[in-house]
Parts: sequence; C-alpha cells; structure tokens
Amino acid sequence: MTTKTSLLKVILLGDGGVGKSSIMNRYVTNKFDAHLFHTIGVEFLNKELEVDSHQVTLQIWDTAGQERFRSLRTPFYRGSDCCLLTFSVDDSQSFLNLGNWKKEFIYYADVKEPEKFPFVVLGNKVDVTERQVSTEEAQQWCQENGNFPYYETSAKDATNVAIAFDEAVRRVLALEERTDHLIPTDTVKLHRKPRSATSCCS
Amino acid sequence: MAADSVLKVLFELEGVFIHPSSEEGGSEQDSLISGCLRIVDKDADVLVEYRPLEDSDPSNMLCAGKDSSSVMEWDQCSGEKLLETQQSYETEWDMINAVSFKRRSVTNGEGSLNPAPCLPGSLNPAPCLPGSLNHSSERSRWAFSFSLSDLRCIRVKEQGWSFLLLQLSESCRSPPALHFHQGGSRDFLDSLRRFAVISQAAGEEVCLMVSSPNRALSQSFENLLDENNFGLVNQKFRNDPYVTTLGGFSKVTNYIFDAFRGTEEQHQRPPEEVADLLGEVIPGLEINQQEEPGFEVITRMDLGVRPPVSRRDPVSSEEWSRHQDAEGRMINVPLLKQIIFKGGLCHAKRKEAWKFLLGFFPWESTVEERKVLHRDKTDEYFRMKLQWKSVSEQQERRNSKLRDCRSLIEKDVNRTDRTNRFYEGLDNPGLVLLHDILMTYCMYDFDLGYVQGMSDLLSPVLYVMESEVDAFWCFVSFMDQMHQNFEEQMQGMKTQLIQLSTLLRLLDLSFWNYLEAQDSGYLYFCFRWLLIRFKRELSFQDVLRLWEVMWTGLPCQNFHLLLCCAILDSEKQKIMEENYGFNEILKHINELSMKLEIEEILQKAEGIGLQIKSCKDLPASISSILGWDPPAPPPALRTPQRGAACSSPLSRDSSAQNGCSPAFIS
Repeated sequence: MTTKTSLLKVILLGDGGVGKSSIMNRYVTNKFDAHLFHTIGVEFLNKELEVDSHQVTLQIWDTAGQERFRSLRTPFYRGSDCCLLTFSVDDSQSFLNLGNWKKEFIYYADVKEPEKFPFVVLGNKVDVTERQVSTEEAQQWCQENGNFPYYETSAKDATNVAIAFDEAVRRVLALEERTDHLIPTDTVKLHRKPRSATSCCS
Repeated sequence: MAADSVLKVLFELEGVFIHPSSEEGGSEQDSLISGCLRIVDKDADVLVEYRPLEDSDPSNMLCAGKDSSSVMEWDQCSGEKLLETQQSYETEWDMINAVSFKRRSVTNGEGSLNPAPCLPGSLNPAPCLPGSLNHSSERSRWAFSFSLSDLRCIRVKEQGWSFLLLQLSESCRSPPALHFHQGGSRDFLDSLRRFAVISQAAGEEVCLMVSSPNRALSQSFENLLDENNFGLVNQKFRNDPYVTTLGGFSKVTNYIFDAFRGTEEQHQRPPEEVADLLGEVIPGLEINQQEEPGFEVITRMDLGVRPPVSRRDPVSSEEWSRHQDAEGRMINVPLLKQIIFKGGLCHAKRKEAWKFLLGFFPWESTVEERKVLHRDKTDEYFRMKLQWKSVSEQQERRNSKLRDCRSLIEKDVNRTDRTNRFYEGLDNPGLVLLHDILMTYCMYDFDLGYVQGMSDLLSPVLYVMESEVDAFWCFVSFMDQMHQNFEEQMQGMKTQLIQLSTLLRLLDLSFWNYLEAQDSGYLYFCFRWLLIRFKRELSFQDVLRLWEVMWTGLPCQNFHLLLCCAILDSEKQKIMEENYGFNEILKHINELSMKLEIEEILQKAEGIGLQIKSCKDLPASISSILGWDPPAPPPALRTPQRGAACSSPLSRDSSAQNGCSPAFIS
C-alpha cells in the first residue's frame, strides 16, 4: 500500500502581494526570498510527502492575483482537490476579498458540492507587527463560510506553513475515504499508479 | 471483450441528441437524450454507433463547457491491449457564446484522482459510468449501431439546428433522428464520406444518397503522409491511415508515442479540462485550417536548410557618432538599425540610442529640435505627475480605481528587480522613480491603469535612462507596442499565441502536433515570454540586448515570435523524449528562466526568419504575421491563378482567416 502515490492538486488563491508564491516556496524548498518577483502567468511546484502513511505528491499551483488575468488564470482551477484561500494579516482589503476568491474558485473549478469542498484559509505575514486583521475576525469568517480550518502563517519565518499544507492533504484524503466507502469502484483511482509528472519534476 | 476484435474509433462527436417525445414510443415527454455519435472500424466493418450519455438532463443547460473526452483503443499486432484516453479533436475553437449543453463530469465529484475510469474500448452496451446505473437501462434503449453498408439515405434538415434522418436498408429499422444541437453534423457527414460515396439525390437538396463503402480515398491520404515529419511513427501511420487522417495527426501521434513507451494514464481529466477552457479563452486557432474539413489540401511547406547567421560586436560610441551629422540628425538610419540588430549597442550609447529606437526622438531631428521637444515633454510629464500627487486622501477614498492602482504599484515595485543595484535595498531612489513613473502612466492612460507586468517593462528602461522624464516617455513608446497585451480582454496575448501557433506549425509540424496532442497546441506556456517580452527569462543585461535588437524592427515584424520558435526548437527534443504532458511542458518552460543563452537564441531566430523568407509559396497567414505581404501583382501580369486572392492586399484579412492555399496538414 505504501508504494502507491496519490497526486493532489492544491491551488493558492488570494490578492496580489499576500505571499502566495512565498508560501509555496517556503513549503517546497524551505527558502524565503524577500526579493521574489510577483508571479506572471501560472506556475506550479511538486512536493512529495507522507501523511498518515499515505504517500502523496502535492502539486501546488500559484497564480497571478490581478483581476485582469482572470480569464487566463481560472482554467487552471479545474481538477483542484483543495484550495488555499490566502490573505495577508497586514492588508485588510485582501481579507475582505476572500469571499470573492472563494466564489471565483467554486464557479470556475466547477465544484460539484461546494459545501463539501476542502478550503483552507491562510492568514499570511504574521511576522509583521502592524496587523490590520485580527485572529478573531479571521476565525469568525472561516466559521461562517463553511467552517474552514484557519492558519496564521509566515512564509518568512516558516510559521505554520507545513502544518497548513498537511491539514489540506488530510482534508482531501478524508473526503476521498468517505467517497471510497460510498462507491467501491473509486478505490482504484486513489491507489493508482503515480503519474509521470511525479517522476520528472522535483 | 475486445481481445478478439480490433476496434478503432474513427470519428466521435458528443452532444448529439435524440428527441424521445417525437419518436415512436417515446415516454420521456420533455427530456432529450444526449449522447455520443461514433464511427468505428470493427473487424474491418465500418459501423455507426450512438450511445446515450450518463446524464442528459436539459437542466444542465448552463455553461459553455466543452467537455469532450473520449476513449480510444488500439490493439497491437501481438494482441496486447493498450488503452488510451483521448480528447476528441475540436474543430471549432471559437468561444461558444450560445447556450450549450454541458455533460456532467464522469469523475463523480472526485477531482483529479479519477483518470476517466471506464475505458469502454469494447463499447459494451451498458455504460459503466459511476452513478449512472439508475438511468442506464432506460437510456441504453436509445443506443443503436448499424453497419455503414446498411445506410441508404440521409436527410439533412434544419430547425435552428441541424438534424439528420438516417434511412437504412429495408431489412433494418431506421434509427431515431439525430439532432446536432452543438453542431458537428457536417463533420459527421464529411467523415462518412471517407467510407461511402455520398451524393445528392437528384432534385432533392436535403437528401443524400449513400452507396457502398470505398476505401480508395484513405489510400490516397496514406500516400500523402510525410516521412520526414513522422519519422518516428511513420510505420504506424502507414498501418493506420484512416485513424491518422480522421482523428487529426496529433492525437494519433500521441497515442502511438504512448504505445511505444508502454505507458498508461498519460492523460488525466484535469489537464484536458484546463486545456479545453484555455482553448475557449484563446479562440481562433483554426486560423489556418481549411474551410472544408472534408477536402483537405495537403501541401507541405518545403523549408530549406537554415542558413548560418553571424552576429557582430555591439555598436560602439564611434560607430554611433559616424551616423550623426553636424546638427545631430541621425544619418544612414537603415544601416545603423541593421548593425544594432546584428550586435546591439554598447552600454554607454544606450541612453541616447534607445530614445530613437523607441520613437521618443525622431531620427531626423536636430539637437536643437530635441531640446525643445524634451522641454515640452518634461512639462507635460510633471503636469501629469502633479495630477495624482495632488489627490487628497479623502479624494482617493472615493476613487477606487486610483486606490487599486496605487496599491498594486506599491506592491509590485517592491517585487521588481530587487537584486539589481538600481533597485536593491530599502529606500533606494530607483524604487521611488519606478513607483512615480507607473503612477504617472496611470494618469497618462487611465483606461488601462496599471497591470501587472508593466513594472517589468519599465524597470530596464528606467535603469538605462537614469532620468524620470526620459524613462517615462520611452516607457510610453514601449507601451504603445505592448498595450494590447494588457488590455481588458488581453487581445494582444491571444493574437500572439495564435500567431505563434501558426508559425510553429509551419516550422515544425511534428512538434506542433505533439504539443497539440498534449493539449498544449495554443502554447499557453509561452504566456510570460509574450506578456513581458522575455523580461523574466533572461538576465537583466541580456534583456537590454534583446530589447534593443527587437526595437530595430528588423528583420521582420513580430521577430519576438521567431525568438519563441527558436527557444522551442531548442527544447523540443527534451520535451518529446521525456514525453512531457500539459503540466510538465508548462513547468519545463517556466523553469527555463535564466538558463537561456541570448546570442544563441538571436542567431537561431534570425536563421529561422531567413529560412521562412526563402520559402516558396509562403502561406498568406505567415507573410502577414511577419509583415512580408507580397506586393500586388503588376496590372499587366494579372492573370487568374490559384492562390491569387492571397496576394491582393485587400483580401488579406479574409485569406488569413480561411488559410488560403497552401494549407497545412491538420
């Protein structure tokens, strides 16, 4: 069983400048580059990990946040297993926009049962001293919008980044195990051969 | 099931409907049956098959999704079975504006983990789509299959959409009418024409008579196959000419590649879906495909050997001065541009030369005239700068557009070339200039505002100019060229992707086919290259070189597209050998950043340009992309000839659309 790998597609969404790429890079390479460029187009990185004895290849997608690029960004939402809604705790506007990002994702990813879809909310840049969004506000939003798990992260000092991704994976796997129970045929897919993508990109 | 019978899917179209209420014994009054129409070759007999889909509830009428996965099976001679999920080829890439029907995904809400689970290569009657079991028996009653040799007559009718009434030989009961709500009836008929002679019944326009199958035509396609382009898979193509010509070369190339490698699950639903959606936002890729799919004009472009190209040293200060007269006018400008194209500029001359190259200074202006111009432009700049500078906090609170621009610019300025000495560290004056120029540009072109990517375009210009005013006006000129890339609909990006695809298809059909087969034919992975002209792909110094070369406008219009082709040419071997799919191609191209060798690319791109230029009978679409429109023929020689319409400048638009001959293999 342990030789089988699942490929999970996770997508980072949120306003420009909240630190999506930095979170991805911190998680995958454990590095932080304060001079990182803003993302143009769409990028992704792979990361292999083991969660509760499941071998998982996480394919983490990172997009440009500006409205203008919507039409060329949204097609990549398809097939996502999990969505990390990201804001920056020092930017209240990015927090207010979370709802829009959630809506955009559900619409374009063509999620069948939005109320069951695993969202995880990240409040990034907790290392910054001047906060504009309090933990309580953020937790309240998560509770009211579908009881999403909420993590306060810092890509800069690595706070909670890996924990948040682990939680995302657990949510997806839990959801799939439930589905497996209902439709026995689906077990095939979960334990299928790893895709070639996992071998060529590291 | 299929072990002892060889089955090939020759044509497939989803979204073909049966109206049960208008059929005999129809009980489902208000519902439509949606299904998939196929032409298959089974044990050397050509069959027409129709199979209802899992879910055809018209309440799903909603989105313009083009969900067209299909399944294809290929039996090797050994009898070893290889299955291959394949996306059927869409002839219409145009955005579907009208309401269309959407098929519910077969993934059963499972996301990417589901590699299209059932591979009904055997086309067994009970659909094995999960969740459809409740309906399958009811729906499968509408499935039918008949041999093409039993088909006698087809009536084509219209009632806002096309529907076909198929009449079989006396011994067979005729199938229900097929309604093509999503189009494709013509494609279906065209495909039938490959196996049967279809002729119009005398005096009756809507009735097509069908007579015995004829395989001669497919033989002729086989003969037209190009050995060079399909060297790797040539043998297989020769064995499967039907599939080759019908399915579109690319898909078949792909499945044969996969077959050789013995891989499975090369395709997953999500990349295909992503690709489908991208295809919708980048419409118009059919630009070179012939109008009538039934009658392909297959003409190979004979590209000669790529001529060797040499580069020279950058233009020195002395050389530059030699091109200037006593009053400061630039002389012998075409030659000057030529040597800049060939070698770029030495850094010392960039500050001056870029103003001419970008059009801020006219080449023929004198030093005195430039002084006046510069004074005026300085005033104009500061007037515009004052506009945003004088907006009070209260005003800005009521101006969301300005607020958004400022917020984005502030964020992006802090994330642009921060390792460059001109922009590094905190409170670097370079950062303030970058910010102020971008804000002033918002005042200059408020409709466009600030779009991500613009800071990348400004940064090298400001670095070279070392002057706020000069950098602003040079940036304005540069933005004039790049404006469309950043507009609301990103039309510039879409146009360039289509043009690039057109070029690549001419240059390297086999690679283009490969990309197409990997759902990457619209070259989305070149997005960043095109949006900001390779700014993120090259080192800062190389960007300066590349841009000054591009700004000469030599050797042709859209030279940057040839640069793309040059880079892709260098990467194609890796991509194809490693059998990269949609995601891997995107990743591979993204990761080329900072690994490219500028002089090598420029050399190769120039060589490709020469290669295309020396090509006889260059398709009009290619000449128009590269700005080599053939001159109108002299009046005395105006004789009607094939392809003549292409050479008339007046008809350029339409010929580009129709892919006036010679067309490519598609």
